[in-house]
Amino acid sequence: MITRGLRYLVRAWRGGELKLLGFSLALAVAIVSGIAGFSDRLSRSMEQQSHHFLAADRVLKTARTIPDGWLDEATALGLHTATIASFRSMIYAGDGMQLASIRAVSDSYPLIGELGISETLFGPPMMRSAGPKRGEIWMDSRLFALLNIEVGGEASVGESDFTANQALISEPDQGGMNEMLAPRGMINFADLAATGVVQPGSLVRYRYLFAGSAEQLAAYEQWLSPKLDDGQRWQDVRDGQPAMAATLQRAEGYLLLAASLGVALAGAAIALAARRYGERNTDSVAIMKALGASRRQVLVHYGGQLCLLSAAAIILGGLGGHGLQWVLFASLGALISVDIPPASWRPLAVGAVTALGCTAVFAMPPVWALSKVSPMRVLRRGNDEAGAALLISALIGISGIGVLMWWYSGDALLTAAVLIAALVTGGLASALVLLLISAARRALIRGASGALRIALAAIYRRRVSNAFQVASFALSLMVLASLGVLRTSLLDDWRLQLPADAPNHFLINIQASEITALNSFFEQHQLKDAGLFPMVRGRLSHIDQQKISDIEGIDAQDGSINREINLSWAADLPEDNRLQSGRWWLDANTEVGDVIPVSVEAELAESLQLKVGSELRFNIGGQLLNARVSSTRSLDWTSMRPNFYFMFPPNSLENYAGSYITSFYLPTEQKRLLADLLRQFPTLTLIEVDTLIQQMEVIVGQVSTAIGLVLILVVACALLVAVANVQASLDSRLHENAILRTLGASKKLIIRGLLIEFAAIGLLSGLLAAVGSNIALMGVQYWVLEMEVVWHGTVFVIAPLVGVLTMCILAALSCRQLVTQPPLVVLRQAF
Amino acid sequence: MIRVNNLCKTVVTGGQQLDILRGISFEIKAGESVAIVGASGAGKSTLLGLLAGLDNASSGDIFLHEQNISRMNEDERAAVRARYVGFVFQSFQLLPGMTALENVMLPLELAGHRSPAAAAQTYLDKVGLSDRGGHYPRVLSGGEQQRVALARAFAVNPNILFADEPTGNLDEHTGQRIVDLLFELNSQSQTTLVLVTHEASLAACCERVLTIHDGQLHEHSSVESAAL
Repeated sequence: MITRGLRYLVRAWRGGELKLLGFSLALAVAIVSGIAGFSDRLSRSMEQQSHHFLAADRVLKTARTIPDGWLDEATALGLHTATIASFRSMIYAGDGMQLASIRAVSDSYPLIGELGISETLFGPPMMRSAGPKRGEIWMDSRLFALLNIEVGGEASVGESDFTANQALISEPDQGGMNEMLAPRGMINFADLAATGVVQPGSLVRYRYLFAGSAEQLAAYEQWLSPKLDDGQRWQDVRDGQPAMAATLQRAEGYLLLAASLGVALAGAAIALAARRYGERNTDSVAIMKALGASRRQVLVHYGGQLCLLSAAAIILGGLGGHGLQWVLFASLGALISVDIPPASWRPLAVGAVTALGCTAVFAMPPVWALSKVSPMRVLRRGNDEAGAALLISALIGISGIGVLMWWYSGDALLTAAVLIAALVTGGLASALVLLLISAARRALIRGASGALRIALAAIYRRRVSNAFQVASFALSLMVLASLGVLRTSLLDDWRLQLPADAPNHFLINIQASEITALNSFFEQHQLKDAGLFPMVRGRLSHIDQQKISDIEGIDAQDGSINREINLSWAADLPEDNRLQSGRWWLDANTEVGDVIPVSVEAELAESLQLKVGSELRFNIGGQLLNARVSSTRSLDWTSMRPNFYFMFPPNSLENYAGSYITSFYLPTEQKRLLADLLRQFPTLTLIEVDTLIQQMEVIVGQVSTAIGLVLILVVACALLVAVANVQASLDSRLHENAILRTLGASKKLIIRGLLIEFAAIGLLSGLLAAVGSNIALMGVQYWVLEMEVVWHGTVFVIAPLVGVLTMCILAALSCRQLVTQPPLVVLRQAF
Repeated sequence: MIRVNNLCKTVVTGGQQLDILRGISFEIKAGESVAIVGASGAGKSTLLGLLAGLDNASSGDIFLHEQNISRMNEDERAAVRARYVGFVFQSFQLLPGMTALENVMLPLELAGHRSPAAAAQTYLDKVGLSDRGGHYPRVLSGGEQQRVALARAFAVNPNILFADEPTGNLDEHTGQRIVDLLFELNSQSQTTLVLVTHEASLAACCERVLTIHDGQLHEHSSVESAAL
């Protein structure tokens, strides 16, 4: 039975009718399983990588210890736990002492990720999955330099002595820049009590780390939530790293959208190919029935072919999908720093269900219709296809696409939105095209001649299928335009756009007396710094003579206000700053009087309701400074150059004690220079942001490359739809053109007519796609991705251009046989 | 072999009722060769379609091998065709996706024959196409295609062979060779032959000639009196 089925399949394949269908099915499986597998593994890897920022799956932050029962419950649920206590304390070594930020970590820390340590200062890290043992302290390299000891030396915290046996190079949960200001040390949690530094009332922060399966975490969260008070915060990676969370969510949204649209496009291609397969087999079925085949035999024959074809498509498509994942990850290899999770069976299952679903939904209705073909057709050709049957198979197809998308994305709202948008656009496009075709024929047919007349007649004769062709091609283009535009705007938004030599180290607390020596240090080692910026620390206390805490609408507890802020001065507007309102001082000396002008960062100005002319009062170390806002300016926080909320004219802050700040780029291989730098300038505070930048770059790079690759797959789907569309009309074109050529039309005339026809279809599709994609983009940007809504005018140029070019190339490739096959052969085959 | 009682076929076209066959009755014995002749549109093909069970009659009975096929559903009629009937068509009706050999194999496979390839090859040999078995219909000439169709029709050893204008798409010379082959195979296999044609020379090869005119059937002893 199967052997015979395979033989039939091979025959039908050789006959050419199954090729497009088989190819569409295999490509659908490859794309779906490829995208599913790729995005599944990518998001798992991104999630893993982002969990490294927490060193756990979840973190409970609290200012005091939690009851023992809480950790016991977590352990009982199968979760892994770790504890961290962070506090500030002096570290002593020999004659040296230094205030440091110390973390006492339990033996199981870190639960996710690894610690990087080295036996040489600023040396290349060796990765370890556990923290210091009892009696050990790991300190960051600059702390060794500041305390003037070598690795292996002795250091004390409170009443305990430790061996400083490792330089701490990287921690998975390194945290933001504020936490990196003070040099860091790490000890074992079991040593904490003996140090005696943690007393009732001491400022200690606790972090309890949890890791486990999603179910275990959910169960624990449910148990824990009611017990938490206001001072305790339960965090996952999305709470812990807002930028990362947004990136992950957008990436997920994008991949989901791309994959769903890929499924819809592949489904449309399969439907078109299956319809043609049905049409081309109508006569064969009539012959088979005349030769004695029953309806069941017809169903078994063609259904069997489809089942075998699906099986082959699943195997080949699955392999293709796996290969696709491999190619995608290979091209991402350099960007992904964590291990890629192994491929799972789920993508292949998704692909298999997609193939079977597509076969059942798109290919079976034409086969069902085939089984009903009258054998009388062998004697008298008739139109077996009823309008109602077409409508029913269209409805089955659309519902099928919907179910597949829903099952695939797991998002009913997104599925409904995309489907309704597609149906409305498709319906409107079809109606519009029908109207346009009728109008064009009436307006042009009399004046037209030659190729244009042939093209117009051809478009009019196939107006219903042309309307469908324009609508489906417009939808494909719309999808492409939407995804293309989305990718660009997402990338612009995401990419840090840091040049390779962007500063990755900050030096603060530089005294005026150290500037000359520091500059010569930089010169000597050929380091490029971003320039020295003076800095005075002060607190903003009044706006327009009103205390900040009394002003309505201002959150006085806001972190950017309720702290000492770095104030700076400069003669010229810093390079990457842009004035938003007011003007920069021309000649500082003439303007500095009782009230000093100040330029404020635009977003802060807005949140403080500041305008040009607002009066500010600063408290700088007990001294008061009055200033008037002279301008607001925007600045690029990601430039990695020193940036300031408040900038004053030169010399206006000269009466206040201050220091300088700079940033510079130091390649990894020169990190050892930092030890020399800190030995030479022990009072400087060094902030290393290179690891942070690298981590962000990896994730952004990963996401943007993934999106580019997924877009290529969607383009393949859209091309398949276009090919299927052109193929669908090939038989009738072949016959018509054979008649035209028999009547004396030249090849050139027919080719020109064809090109005009297809170019018109491409142009119309492109224009409709431009309108549709702009509307769709607005919806997607607003509801799905929660981005700013922007109108994209360039799509109106690009989409029609792409439409015309694609259709013309497809016409040239697919319709070659229209003019190469002798008319006699065509006409003889027709009947 | 074939018995027809009061057969009527009415169709509705453009809102008008059209009586194609009006109460036709006749009988064809086993082994007979019968030509059905008539002007274009007289209802020859309709009658052939009804006799072979390809279509439903409006009323009346058709007995094929003593089985009333007008009371059967489509699948039951198909089973009767598979068992007793062979076909030759004007437009050959070979499946374009299959080679000549595979086309001949098709009805054998549908009938559940044990070694369809060998049987098919035997019949290809009989029609003189031994070496063309691997060729697709599109590379065969019209005459060759019709010979493949003849091989296909006789391969299942049918009790009845229906032929619809078998030479209609062929030139005179080729047509004559096909007619010779058809009758040669027919006499070898003792098949009942029902042939629809408007060619006098072809009708003359048959033992009986039935003429359709105005929905009625008239029998003539010779082709001359049928006045084609």
